[in-house]
Amino acid sequence: MYSRIQDLANAVVRRQLDRRNFLRRAGQLGIGASAATYFLNRAQSTALAQDFDWQKHKGTTVKLLLNKHPYADAMIANLDTFKSMTGMEVTYDVFPEDVYFDKVTAELSSGGGNYDAFMTGAYQTWQYGPAGWLVDMNEFINDAALTNPNYNWEDILPNLRASTAWSGVPGAELGGEGAKQWAIPWGFELNSIAYNKRVFDAQGLTPPNNMAELLEVAAKISKDVDGMYGVGVRGSRSWATIHPGFLSGYSNFNERDFTMEDGKLMAAMATPGSKSFHADWVKMIQDSGPRDWATYTWYQVGTDLGAGASGMIYDADILGYFMNGEGNAEAGNLAYHAFAPNPEASAPTPNVWIWSLGMSNFSTQKEAAWLFMQWASGTDHALFGARDMDFVNPVRQSVWDDQAFQDRIAKSYPGYLEQYKASAPGSKIYFTPQPLFFNLTTEWASMLQQMVGNEVPVDEGLDQLAESVNRQLRQAGI
Amino acid sequence: MQRQTVIGRGVRVVLLTLVGLFFLFPIFWVLLMSFQTNQDILRIPPSLVFTPTLENYGALISGRLESTAGVLEIRFMNNLMNSVILAVSSVALSLLLGIPAAYAFARFKFRLGEDIAFTLLSFRFAPPLLVLLPLALYFQQMGLIDTYIGLIWVYQLITLPLILWIVRGYFEDISEDIEHAYRLDGNGWFKTFTRIAIPLAKPGIAAATLLSFIFAWNNFVFALILASADKQPVTVGALAFVTASGIQYGQIAASIVLSVTPTLLLALYAQRYLVEGLSLGAVKG
Repeated sequence: MYSRIQDLANAVVRRQLDRRNFLRRAGQLGIGASAATYFLNRAQSTALAQDFDWQKHKGTTVKLLLNKHPYADAMIANLDTFKSMTGMEVTYDVFPEDVYFDKVTAELSSGGGNYDAFMTGAYQTWQYGPAGWLVDMNEFINDAALTNPNYNWEDILPNLRASTAWSGVPGAELGGEGAKQWAIPWGFELNSIAYNKRVFDAQGLTPPNNMAELLEVAAKISKDVDGMYGVGVRGSRSWATIHPGFLSGYSNFNERDFTMEDGKLMAAMATPGSKSFHADWVKMIQDSGPRDWATYTWYQVGTDLGAGASGMIYDADILGYFMNGEGNAEAGNLAYHAFAPNPEASAPTPNVWIWSLGMSNFSTQKEAAWLFMQWASGTDHALFGARDMDFVNPVRQSVWDDQAFQDRIAKSYPGYLEQYKASAPGSKIYFTPQPLFFNLTTEWASMLQQMVGNEVPVDEGLDQLAESVNRQLRQAGI
Repeated sequence: MQRQTVIGRGVRVVLLTLVGLFFLFPIFWVLLMSFQTNQDILRIPPSLVFTPTLENYGALISGRLESTAGVLEIRFMNNLMNSVILAVSSVALSLLLGIPAAYAFARFKFRLGEDIAFTLLSFRFAPPLLVLLPLALYFQQMGLIDTYIGLIWVYQLITLPLILWIVRGYFEDISEDIEHAYRLDGNGWFKTFTRIAIPLAKPGIAAATLLSFIFAWNNFVFALILASADKQPVTVGALAFVTASGIQYGQIAASIVLSVTPTLLLALYAQRYLVEGLSLGAVKG
C-alpha cells in the first residue's frame, strides 16, 4: 500500500493524475485525506529537490519568530516536509499578536541575532528596512545559485511584490525606482464587505454598491433588526483603524493621505473631497455603527459579525472568512461582496495588509534562512495551506487558479471568489510610505474619534489634522 | 434600642452583601465564562442558563485547543509553571538579600547608607521599557538572554526594593531595647537578628513577600523582551487565545481562573499577616 500511494503521488507530480482523483484513489486504498496530502507533499518536495541543492545547509538550525496566526499554523503543520527535504532543523517562537511587534522591534533594535527570519507586516518594514535591520531580499531572489529554479517570484501578485518594496525615500512610490525588497509577501487580506445573508434575505436587502447605499442599508438594519447594528468598522485610537475599510473607501474617491509639493510631503486630508468622505463615514458610524465604536479593533468587528450583532462589516475579507467557520453563531450565514463606494469608480480599491517574511540583518546564516523562506513562500507550501489549512488569501496567482482551492472556497464561502476577483486588480497599499507612518496615522484615527464624538466638526478637525501633520513632517525634516 | 440594633445590623448585612456582589461580580462572571463554550458566551442577550462544560480547562491542561482554525497547540501550563518559577525564585532571592539589607539599613548608620538604600528604591522608578533594550544588549553579551537566571536577576528590579523598603520600616518599629537585652546575655548580632528581629518582623515580612509576589506574578514585559516563547509567564501566555481567527473567550476565562488561583491561595493563607503587617508598618511611633 505504501508503494502504491507513493506511485500515485508521483503521478500527480508528473501531471498524469489530478489531485481530486489522487485523493479518491487514496481513499480507495484506505488512506485518509491528511495522510494522502502528506505523501503528495513529500513527492512534490522530492521532485523539487532534484532541480536544486536543498541539502546545502543540512544540519543547520534556523530560528523563526512567528505571530500566533493561521498562516503560522499552516506552516508549522507542513514543516516536516521542509525538514525532510533539506535535512535542516527549524525552531520557532510563537508570540500572541497583541505583543508580537513589541517583541520584533525589541529584538531587531537591540541587534540580537536570536532569530534568522520572522513574520512582519509591510508597514513595519518602513521602519525596519531603512534602519538597516532587514536584508534586501533582491540579493537572494536575483541570485540563481541561491534560489531554486521553480521558485517563480513573478507568480506572486505584482501589487503585493511592489507593496513590500520601498526605496526608503519618503513619498517615493512603493516598488518604484531603487526600491529594496524588504520582505516576501506570504499571505494577505484586502478590504471589502462581508454581510449576514440570513438577515439581508429576511429584510429584503441587497449588499450596497456605493457609499450612499452603504449608509442607507446600514441605517435600515439598525432600525429594523432587533439587537443588531448596521455596519461594523474599527474605531480604536490606532493606525489600524484607518487602514482597512476607511482607507479603501477613501482611496476609491481618489483621495490621498499625502501629496508631494515642491519635493515636500504635504498632508492631503483637508481637501473638499476628503472632507465629504469623512462626513459620510462619521455619519455612518453615528447612525449605524457599534455603540462602543471607539474601542473597536479587528477582534470586536469580527466577533460581532460572527455572533450576529452586526449586519455587515467593511473590513478584511479574511475576517469575514474566519467568522464563517464553526464556533460562530452565524457560521454558514455570511456572504461576501466587492465594494466600490464611489459611484464613478470603475472598480474597488481595497487597501491591503500583507503578512510577509523578513530576514534579520543580524542573522549569521542568511543563506540557510533563505532556503526556509523560499520554501515557506513557494508554490507547494502555498497550495498545501490554501487547500488544507486557512492559509488565505494566497499571494500567488497559481494558487488562485488552482481548481481544488477554488472548489473548497466556493463550497463553504459563497461569493468569496467573486468578491476577490472584482477586488484584486485594485488591491494594494494606498498609504504613502514615510517614516512617521504609525504616529501620523494614529493621530488621524484620534481625530476621527473626535469627529464621531461630535467634539469637533469634520471640516475643522481635518484642517487641524493637516496642520499638525505638516508641522511634524517639517520637524522631522521630511 | 435593641430593635434599632437589629435593624441596623440587617441594613449593614444588606449593604455589605450589595458591595460584595458589586466587587465580586466580575470574578463571578469570569468563573461562569470558564465553564461555557464561546457560543454561549457570545449569546445575545447574555444568559445565566447554560450547559456547563469542562472543555476550556481540558484544552488548557492537555495543551490542545480545538478552534475554527483546526487543532492548535497551546502551552498554557508551561506558562503557568514559568510564572511559578520566576515569581517564587525572585521573591526567595529578594528575601535572602533584602531582609539582612533592610536590617542593616534600619539598625546601623554607615557611610552612604541612605544613598545606597535610595538607589535601590530608584529601581522602582525606572520605566521598564527604558531599561530593557540596554539590558537586552548586555544580556546577549553575557549569555543571560533567554535564561531563567537572567530573568530572576531582572525581576529583582521589582521585588528587591519592595521587600527592602517595607521590611526596613518594620525593623525600625521594633524596639532596640529587646535586642540589646538579648545581646547582653552574650548573644552575637547575627543570632539577635535571626532569633529576635526576624520573628518580631514576621508580619511585615509576610506582607512584603505577598506584595512582591503579586508584582512579580503580574509582570509582563521583562520575559517578553528578554526570553523566548518557552519561558513566557501566564501574563503573556493568556494572550495566545486572542487570534486573528477569533477570540477564545472561554479559554481566556479559564486561564484567568487558573492564573489567579496561586496568588489567591497565597493571599488567603497570608491574610492575617497581611492586615496586621500593613497596619503595623503604616503607623510610626
